[in-house]
Amino acid sequence: MEAENKNQIKSYLTFKLGNEEFAAHVSKVLNILEMTPITKVPKAPDYMKGVINLRGAVLPVIDARIKFGMPETEYTNNTCIIVLDIDVDGESVHVGAIVDSVQAVLEIDNNQIMPLPSLGSRYKSEFIIGMAKVEDRFIIILNMDAVFSVDEITEIVDANQPQATDDEKRG
Amino acid sequence: MDSFKKKFVEEAGELIDKLEVSLLELEKNPEDASLIQQVFRIMHTLKGNSAMFGFDLIDSFTHNLETIYDQVRNGQLQISPEILNVTLASVDHLKLMLDEQNYNDPDFKTVYNGLLSKINAIINPSQPDSIKVAKESQQPEGQISTYYILFEPNQDIFKNGTNPIYLLDELCSLGEYKVFCHFNRVPEITEIKPELCYTYWEVLLATSQDVNSIQDVFIFVETESKLEIQKLAELNLLSDNAFVEEVSHLAEVQKDVGLVTVQRIATKAAARLNKAKAEQFTKERMAVKDKSASSIRVSSDKLDHLMNLVSELVTTQARLSLFAEQTNVPGLAPIVENVQKLTRQLRDIAFSIVLIPIENLFGRFQRLVRDLSAELHKEVDFIIEGADTELDKTIIENLSDPLMHIIRNSMDHGIEDARVRLANGKPAKGKIHLKAFYSGANVIIQVTDDGAGIDPEFIREKAISKGLIPPDRKMSRKEILDLIFLPGFSTAKKVTDVSGRGVGMDVVKKKISDIRGEVEVESEVGQGTTITIKLPLTLSIIDGLLVSIDNSPFVIPLSSIDKIYAIEKESIYNTYNNLVALDGAQVPFFSLRKEFNLKPSDEELEQIVVVNFEDNRVGLVVDHVIGEYQAVLKPMGKHYKNHDIFSGATILGDGTVALVMDTNKIIKMFANIKAVK
Repeated sequence: MEAENKNQIKSYLTFKLGNEEFAAHVSKVLNILEMTPITKVPKAPDYMKGVINLRGAVLPVIDARIKFGMPETEYTNNTCIIVLDIDVDGESVHVGAIVDSVQAVLEIDNNQIMPLPSLGSRYKSEFIIGMAKVEDRFIIILNMDAVFSVDEITEIVDANQPQATDDEKRG
Repeated sequence: MDSFKKKFVEEAGELIDKLEVSLLELEKNPEDASLIQQVFRIMHTLKGNSAMFGFDLIDSFTHNLETIYDQVRNGQLQISPEILNVTLASVDHLKLMLDEQNYNDPDFKTVYNGLLSKINAIINPSQPDSIKVAKESQQPEGQISTYYILFEPNQDIFKNGTNPIYLLDELCSLGEYKVFCHFNRVPEITEIKPELCYTYWEVLLATSQDVNSIQDVFIFVETESKLEIQKLAELNLLSDNAFVEEVSHLAEVQKDVGLVTVQRIATKAAARLNKAKAEQFTKERMAVKDKSASSIRVSSDKLDHLMNLVSELVTTQARLSLFAEQTNVPGLAPIVENVQKLTRQLRDIAFSIVLIPIENLFGRFQRLVRDLSAELHKEVDFIIEGADTELDKTIIENLSDPLMHIIRNSMDHGIEDARVRLANGKPAKGKIHLKAFYSGANVIIQVTDDGAGIDPEFIREKAISKGLIPPDRKMSRKEILDLIFLPGFSTAKKVTDVSGRGVGMDVVKKKISDIRGEVEVESEVGQGTTITIKLPLTLSIIDGLLVSIDNSPFVIPLSSIDKIYAIEKESIYNTYNNLVALDGAQVPFFSLRKEFNLKPSDEELEQIVVVNFEDNRVGLVVDHVIGEYQAVLKPMGKHYKNHDIFSGATILGDGTVALVMDTNKIIKMFANIKAVK
C-alpha cells in the first residue's frame, strides 16, 4: 500500500550541481539543511566530506560535486545538505548530500520522463532514471539509491564518454 | 496465565541449558558428587516448575530422569556413558516438550516413549529402590497428626494366638512413635500364669495415616481388648522434646499416664510447636523472598529504554558541564561535578545489567562438538577460552547460529580423519579452539582448528566454475579466501549432513553484519583455519579522552590509554626512526597530524598519548589533551563501514561531532603503511 502511494507521487526535488540540474524523487528526501560545519573524517575518500550532528544522530555527508566528477568549489549561501533516505540492500540508510543549491519541487509525470540518450551521456546509465524536459530545461532524474550507495568504488562518470558536456564548457 | 506459561518456558529453557552444561561437565568428571548433586537439583527444579504450570508431561518425564540421578546420588548407580547418552537425548527432548504444539507430532510420541523405556531400563534393575523412592516422595504430602493409643488386651488374648508385640510393630511402622509399656498389673511371680497377658501399652504415634488405618491394625483384636485411639494434635508432637520427656517421666512415675493427662500436655506442646512452626515458616518465607530478590526478570524492551535514557542523560550532562564552565556561576561547579559522578555510576550499572557472560553460548557448543565428533568419527579436543567475556544479551543471541555454522565447518571440513592426520604428522586428535577476548573497544571471537586448512587455488577454481568470478580476475590471497562468504559457495566436495548445503558462510557473514560485526578468515593449507569475528563494542557509552588535532576533536578510549606526556615538537619532526624516549624507554610513535595528512602544528609543545597496542606501548601525538569525556557512541553510518579506524562518533556538549578512535586499528594501519614503504 505504502509503496503504491510512493509511486503515485510525481513530485521531484530539483537541485543544481554546477550548471546541471538534477532531480530526486521526494520519497527519498527527508530534509534540507543549511550548510553546517562538518567534522572531517581523516583517511576517508575525498567525496566523503565527514559527519554532522543531525539532531543528536551522526549523519555522514557526501559532496555530490566530487561524486559527479566536478571540481570542488567554495560553499556559498546557497549550498545545502539534502538529507536522503537511501535503500541499501533493503535497509534504510540516511546520508547527507551537499549540493550547490536546491531549486524547486516539480511535478513530473512518468510519461514526461524520457530514457537517456544511449550515446553522449557523461553518466553511467545505472545511476540515471531518465531525463525530463521542463520549461525548455533538461533535468536529469537520478536513481538516488545507486548514486549514494555505500559502495566506495562507484564512479558515476562514465570514463568512456567525453568528460565535459557543452553546457559545462559554456559555464 | 499465558504470561506465566511464557515465563515458565523461558525459565525452563534456561534450566535445560544449564542442565546440559552440567551433564557435559559430569561426563568429564563422572565422580564429582557436587556435579551429580547439581544435575539432580536442576532436574528437581524443572520438575517442580513444570508441575506448577501444568506441564504434566515434563513433570513426569523429569521425575523419571531425576530418579536415575537420585540413585546415582545414593550410590546405587554409577554414571556411565549409557546414562549420559540417555540423559542428553532426554534433555533434547525436553526442549521439544516446552512447545506444546509438538505434542501432537507422532514422532514426538515415539521418541518420548523410546526415551521413557530407556530410562526405565536404567532404573529397573534395582526395582525395590524405585519403589522406595516412590514411597518417599508420597509421604511428605499428607498432614502428620499425633495420636494417643491405649491398647489394653484382655488377659486371655494369647489363647487365640495373637501376639500383641506384632500388633505394636505394625502400629509403629505407620510413623514416628513412642511406646510406653506398663507392667503394674503383673502379679507376684508366684502368681503369674504364663498363658495370660498382664501388660498393656500406651503409644504416641505421629503419622500421616488417618484413624481408620490405625484401627485396622487392631481389627482382629478389637473385641478382645480395650482400645482407645485419640487424635492429640494435627502436628508431629514427637518432634517436640519437652513433650516426649514430660510424658515419659509421667509414665515412669505413675502407673499409667492416661488419656486426659496426655491431652493436657499435648495441648501445651501443640501450642508451643505451632508457634515454632510459624516462626520457621516465616523464616523460610523470608529466605524465599531473599532468594527472589537476588535476581529479577525484566523485559529487554525496558532495558533498551533504560539504556537510551542513560545515553541521553550522559549527553545532557556533558552539555551541563560545558555550560557550567562557560558561565562560571559560583556554587554551580560542585553540583555539576556531583551530577557527573552520579551519571557515571548510573551508566556503569545500567551497562552491566545488559551484559551477560558468553559462557552459556559456549557451553552449547561443547555439546555440538561432542555429538558431531561421535557422528563424524573424529576425535576432537574442544578448548574454550574467555568464557567470562561479557557481551550484550542480544548480540550473544544472534551469535549462536553463525558460530554453530563455523564450528560445524571446522569439524566437517577442517579436521581430517585420524588416519590422514597421522599421515600428515599431526596428532590423531584434532583441536578446535574457541576463544573470546576484548581487543580495545571490541570483542573478538575466534574459532581456530588445526585441520586441513583452505586451499586458495581450490577456492578460486570453484568460484570460477560456479561463475562467481571471471577466470582472469587477479585476486589477492585474502580476497580469494573471502570468496567463501559469497552466497551459494560451498567448498565441501560432497554434501554432508553436517554442513555443505551451500548456505553456510554467507549466512554467517550476513548474521554477523546484522549485529554490526565482521568476519575474517585466515587459513594455511595443512595448518588449519582461523575464523575471526569482530564484534562492535556493545557499550554504546565509553570513557574516553578528548583530544584535539588541528582544531578537530577526537576521542581516544580511556581503556587503551597508558600515560600522557608533553613533548617538544622538535623531537617528533626531526626523527627518522619514529622512536621517542619516554621514562627511559624507547616508544614508537605516530604523529596523528602527519598520518591524517594534515599540516604540522605551529605550537612548540604537543602531547603524546601512550596507548597499549597488543603487548607494546605506542605513542600517538596530538595537539592538545582537552580532558576526560564520557562519549555516547553513535554509529557513523554504513557509508563509513569500511573506515574502521574510527569505531564511531560522539556528539559533544556544544553540538559538534567528535570521532572516536579505534587505537588498535589506527596503529595497525599506520604500521602496515610503514612496512610497505
